[in-house]
Amino acid sequence: MAIYTNLYLLIFLPAVLILYQLVPRKARWGVLLAASYALYITFSKYLVLLLMATAAFTWRIGLWMDRIGEECVRKQAECTDKKQKKAVKEDFQKKRVWVLRLGVLVLLGILFYVNYYNFVAGNINILIGRFAKLPIVKVMFPMGISFYTLEAVGYLADVYWERYPAEKHLGKVALFLSFFPQIMEGPIARFPDTSEALFAGEPLNMANINEGFLRIIWGLFKKMIISDRISYLTDYIYGNYKEYHGSFIILAAIAYTVQLYLEFSGSIDIVIGSGKLFGVTIPENFNQPFSAQSAAEFWRRWHMSLGNWFRNYVFYPVTVSAPVKNWNKTARKKYGKYWAMVGTSAMALFPVWLATGVWHGAGWKYLFYGMYYFVILFFGEAIKPFKEKNYERLGISFDAKPMKIIRILKTWVIIFTGELFFRADSLSIGFRMFFSIFGNFHISSIWKYMPDVVSAGDLWAIVIGSIIVWIVGFLKEQGLDIRGKILGARTPAKWCVYYLIIFSILLFGAYGTGYQPVDLIYAGF
Amino acid sequence: MDELLEILQDIDDSVDYETETALIDNHILDSFGIITLISEIEETFDVEVDAAEMTPENFNSAAAMWKMIQRLQEN
Repeated sequence: MAIYTNLYLLIFLPAVLILYQLVPRKARWGVLLAASYALYITFSKYLVLLLMATAAFTWRIGLWMDRIGEECVRKQAECTDKKQKKAVKEDFQKKRVWVLRLGVLVLLGILFYVNYYNFVAGNINILIGRFAKLPIVKVMFPMGISFYTLEAVGYLADVYWERYPAEKHLGKVALFLSFFPQIMEGPIARFPDTSEALFAGEPLNMANINEGFLRIIWGLFKKMIISDRISYLTDYIYGNYKEYHGSFIILAAIAYTVQLYLEFSGSIDIVIGSGKLFGVTIPENFNQPFSAQSAAEFWRRWHMSLGNWFRNYVFYPVTVSAPVKNWNKTARKKYGKYWAMVGTSAMALFPVWLATGVWHGAGWKYLFYGMYYFVILFFGEAIKPFKEKNYERLGISFDAKPMKIIRILKTWVIIFTGELFFRADSLSIGFRMFFSIFGNFHISSIWKYMPDVVSAGDLWAIVIGSIIVWIVGFLKEQGLDIRGKILGARTPAKWCVYYLIIFSILLFGAYGTGYQPVDLIYAGF
Repeated sequence: MDELLEILQDIDDSVDYETETALIDNHILDSFGIITLISEIEETFDVEVDAAEMTPENFNSAAAMWKMIQRLQEN
């Protein structure tokens, strides 16, 4: 039962809301947890046991680390001098780090087995298959494992760093990891983001219901009117890539990027809206990514919760790890500050982008996707001082509007190229499509081939829908929050907008005869 | 504190560090600025900044950084 289906929106969600309101406040978290597991069973059946076991394991490891910490405090109280206290602390930290390692290893081990075992085994078999073969196993995919595993690892790391104490209530950890709107596509939250609100059992109220409802229908608008229609176009071109080249491949890359954005951000709107109905504020995942003026800025605006996770739990720990710091110190003396920064950046960025690529799935194209951004971001940073000097030398203002537009367009090219490989069926097909752009390039082929892949009606719906989404995003970027304005309007005006969006979805949504329900892309990761 | 402000000015001199309180939250200091900042802080103040300290609360303002440095020097 995906979160955009009628079953979820018209039956499951209202039923959970009614049940939530009917039970006593103290038991409301139980309704949310039961609903989360019920929804999970509809996707992954008995693998709900893995989700439950992950919660119990994460909870236990957190408590274990805290118990060692408490023992450390008791031992320190018996010490007479500062030096002794420090030695005791170091001793206990060693124990805690082993518990953390155990927790992270088990969690990531399961993720690795489910997502990557067959990919790795297949490639090893290609290399050494003549001598020995690793078995290829049939693995059932537990929905949302890439999302809830990162949440669990983040929780354990934060407990280890004493950013907050381990949660004593198993139900709270279990609900944090499995809250039903988030389980399919995230966003990846940190424990303090949602746990208190999930457990508080706040009664339903009109302000939250209005806000949540508007967010949900806005998400449906993006997904059903625009993204689902574009999916037919992109599926067709990517499925028949050999027949197309030049400008039509560029169109496919742009169309897929728009489809992915509207589908992913649309479903995140439904997720955030669903959470809001219960008074739970789920972190945002997008912030007008196409306004970014660099690839680095794009990743601060696109799938923000994933970027934040990698920054907090990979980039920073690697940056301040002993080997990187030692190298940095030596390099600063030997090669100067600039080269030390360049080297440290490479060392800290590489694991982030390798992991980002791998996180998206098992396949060379995902590894390539990660490395593509590693190279762009690394060189972007390395040439920054020279770029700034160049601006000064040429007497061009960095903030001049034409320069901003050029930077935005340059970022679009980077994004579209990346998504071309991301969507291609394999890395070799991605390259084939990429190189075919430069052969037989005629803008006119867009008009020639367009009727093959999309009807005039669909095209109009896509164009007008995209313009509406773009205007809303553009105004938000200028500081005008349309959603806030609608929610602040009088009831009749508010309902006019609600009806307008609902009727648009009913009239122009891609469903019914001739349309197939389109699965969520990120739910497959 | 003056030494810290000097380090920050070296990284980006377009920011008023005495008043800015969202250096991380508003991405004024990017990840690479942080790399340089950590090296400079460790070298200048003879402290060890470890992963546990890498939170926005510790780096959102010059005052918060200074507080962290003093705490690390005491330990």
